[in-house]
Amino acid sequence: MKFLSKVHGEIQYEEKNIITFNKGLLGLNEFKKYILLDLQEYEPFQLLQSLENEELAMIVTSPYEFFKDYEIKLSDETIKNLKIDSPEQVNVITTVTLNSDVKKITTNLQGPIVINTSNNIGEQIILDNSKYKVKNPLI
Amino acid sequence: MLIITRKKGESLMIGDDIEIVISKIDDASVKIGIKAPKDVQILRKELYEEIQQENIEATKIELSALSSIKKR
Repeated sequence: MKFLSKVHGEIQYEEKNIITFNKGLLGLNEFKKYILLDLQEYEPFQLLQSLENEELAMIVTSPYEFFKDYEIKLSDETIKNLKIDSPEQVNVITTVTLNSDVKKITTNLQGPIVINTSNNIGEQIILDNSKYKVKNPLI
Repeated sequence: MLIITRKKGESLMIGDDIEIVISKIDDASVKIGIKAPKDVQILRKELYEEIQQENIEATKIELSALSSIKKR
């Protein structure tokens, strides 16, 4: 299947790779279907592209690429919503907010996106009272 | 929006299983106790809004800004 992304141009994807966020992302609740694309020239970053709005896309990364000790505890509710059976199914990504000044590029460690890779259901969670920040400098 | 007046120590129910207790009142702040099922997430609204705002910010993509970043 094909989709035209504002950021990335034409994208080829397979239906099985569509990630469904039943609640959407916070502030973007009406958009539920996304695809996660590797950005080969910008590793380890990926593009989370909405399939319902060509202009809606975010740069994301695995937080573990930059913060080896990053850890989150999934609530029972998230485990239930995403139908998670084992930790191996879980992919955690965080959004990256860009800035022309590298030191001001941040990633949202307090609001990570959790995806069950076995059924491609995802959810953005909020870590309350967390040591992690919404605007955590990436480097 | 429903506006209810409560005194210290009084509470109110939301549905059958969420109880909000007014536990302490000062001049400019109230301390509130919340009894709710574990699967109900309770958050300060500022944090919720901060993450909403950050998601919107993250959609403003200028790929050239990424080239300068290297893995730690």
